[in-house]
Amino acid sequence: MNESLETIRAMARDHLSMKARVGYVFLLLAATTMVVIVVSLWVTEAHLPARTQLAFGAMTGIGASWVALAAWVLGSRRPLYAVDRVIAGRLAVTFTTVFIVGALMGLLGGGGSAAAAAVGMGVVMLGAAIAALRSARRRFAALSARRLELERALA
Amino acid sequence: MNPPDDPRTDELLAIRCQLGERAAFDALIARWHEPLWRYLRRLGGDDDTAADLVQDTWTRVLRGIVALREPASLRPWLFGIARRVAMDRLRHTYLWRPDPDVELDDLPAEDLPADIDMAVLDGAIATLPVADQEVVTLFHLRELSIAQIASLLEVPVGTVKSRLFRARRALRSELVKSGEFP
Repeated sequence: MNESLETIRAMARDHLSMKARVGYVFLLLAATTMVVIVVSLWVTEAHLPARTQLAFGAMTGIGASWVALAAWVLGSRRPLYAVDRVIAGRLAVTFTTVFIVGALMGLLGGGGSAAAAAVGMGVVMLGAAIAALRSARRRFAALSARRLELERALA
Repeated sequence: MNPPDDPRTDELLAIRCQLGERAAFDALIARWHEPLWRYLRRLGGDDDTAADLVQDTWTRVLRGIVALREPASLRPWLFGIARRVAMDRLRHTYLWRPDPDVELDDLPAEDLPADIDMAVLDGAIATLPVADQEVVTLFHLRELSIAQIASLLEVPVGTVKSRLFRARRALRSELVKSGEFP
């Protein structure tokens, strides 16, 4: 049983690795950004040859697959705990803000409708990121409050 | 100081885990590994199976605790997972063919009290021969029929019945001594 206990402890340490968890958060954000950029170009460029359309479709599919993989891992294999969700929310807000700034620079530099679409989708992503961060903070605060209450009661 | 079996202790532990506090997971494992292992040892029948089952159980616990809606229900939640893991494994590992002709009523009446103290029952079961421990554990979890147990253990139905009869008689004797059986 002691061997088993050590195995479980090692498994828990690996499972709780912040590096792996944050890695998947980055993968999710990067893949989402890639999909947004590709789709912005795809839908705003008129008269694209069939081969280019096919390439955009393939890139969108690949990006969406990475998004799905990261979401699945974070949803069921390495779920985010309350503190992780706050960190992930902050990362998402930062990431999307940087993305919007980049898209705005592209727009100001003559990027045309593709840059405008990217800005629009970036704003939507930022809204989602802010909502996720607020939800994560509420959950963290509620759990922390209950924790404090129990610690006082059990002291 | 509150006793360690205060349900609020478990609730606090579950909440600390949900918050993502790494030390809380160490405390959770330290507190619940042995009871889960013993429970699964009884279900699985041997140390190797118990080690596999307990690992699967902890994997599901680590993945699922964040979604535990009622942290105060940590204890039944843990054992519910362990039980599901064990039953999945046992059903998957052993091909059994239920025998509709064999009924529990065929057994001699040596029923155990429904409200028996599980710690006392555990102690009494531990005094039985290993083969009888397996049968009585599988049977008294009310999950496996006589035919299923026979298939699981790869022994004839009659052998299971006789082991169960012997085990229950021995258990009754032990429990009478301990005052748990009238």
